[in-house]
Amino acid sequence: MSESGTIDEPIEDRILDAAVRCVARWGVGKTTLDDIAREAGCSRATLYRVLPGGRDALLVAATDRELQRFLRGLATRLDDTATLEDVIVSIIHEAVAAVSTHDALQYLLSHEPEQIAPFVAFDALDPLLAEVTAFVHPWLARHLDDVAADEVGEWIARLVLSYGLEPADDLDLTRRDAVVELVRFAVLPGIALAETSCAA
Amino acid sequence: MVAAPRAADVARRDDTRRRVLSATVSCVERDGLAGVSLEEVARTAEVSRATVYRHFPGGRDELVRQAVTREVGRFWAELGAAVEDQPDLVSRLREALLVGHRAVADHVLLQQLLRTEPEAFLRELFEVGPVLEGALRTELIRLLGLVELRPGVEPGPVADYLTRMFLSYVGSHGRWDLSDRVQVDRLVRTQFLAGILDLERGDGTFSPA
Repeated sequence: MSESGTIDEPIEDRILDAAVRCVARWGVGKTTLDDIAREAGCSRATLYRVLPGGRDALLVAATDRELQRFLRGLATRLDDTATLEDVIVSIIHEAVAAVSTHDALQYLLSHEPEQIAPFVAFDALDPLLAEVTAFVHPWLARHLDDVAADEVGEWIARLVLSYGLEPADDLDLTRRDAVVELVRFAVLPGIALAETSCAA
Repeated sequence: MVAAPRAADVARRDDTRRRVLSATVSCVERDGLAGVSLEEVARTAEVSRATVYRHFPGGRDELVRQAVTREVGRFWAELGAAVEDQPDLVSRLREALLVGHRAVADHVLLQQLLRTEPEAFLRELFEVGPVLEGALRTELIRLLGLVELRPGVEPGPVADYLTRMFLSYVGSHGRWDLSDRVQVDRLVRTQFLAGILDLERGDGTFSPA
């Protein structure tokens, strides 16, 4: 494999993909830059040149790229939706399914949860909520006013994180029918109430 | 047959435990989680190292774990005390969010550890967290049994949903100002309870079991 990669596979993407595969196998603690370089089929020198900033910066970049990749797929799915229920159910179902099948994330959840916690606990969660809320806003705004769209977007993001990272014993949200049930029971009544209430 | 411990002995043992755990918290405040040493805790508590080991045979790691457990327990107890007079489910959840949010935001040591040692601190909290979640879920099941729920609503899954929502919001306010009672009231009605209670008929007043 050439070090510079092909036009279809920029070297940076190859390295980030390789990092994710390494974490899925060994976790963050045991993954070294050497491991990543070997998995990517490039030299360490190339790795340093393409992604300077050390191992931790590289892993943050890999995480961000996984998230962006997921959001792009979600956008395609949401373009297909017709009703508000459809939009909300699709977001939750796609996201929970993606979390449950993401090998690296599942490895960390099982073996190194402290690697994830600093990104999703307390104040660190706020920027992630804001990013997801902003992303899903256009599809929710087809059915809701702007304020409601933002509130519901953040609400959905919280549910995805909670049920995705700590699955419930009696509610399998990788099943679409279970998501429909949750949305009809918990989310839609709240949206209806917000629309009819006079509170500020 | 072994005689039961005398009440005075039990009291003294509990008192020593408390002093050692308080000293542990002081040491964490001063030296961080990484800097806590059993020797320093013993010195701060004004007890011998042997005494500390007798109460906490797991050593430094057990000290830290027990100190975190106690602080979480304290948070839970204060939360309960602050809301126990609220007569209905809406107001109890609303006040719990208001008080809980403020308690987290104002907790000097928690905020300090999140800034300086997030991984180490969150690892401890992760171990202790499930106990708090369990207590919250149990209490919510109890409260749900005291109110008139919408038809077909099951207390178990509902308590799980409310627990998740509460912990999510109490830790991270997101776009909400959780010091604003009006906002928190709206949040609790729309996102927590709209599907659970018929809010047009009431706020979920507790009737005795």
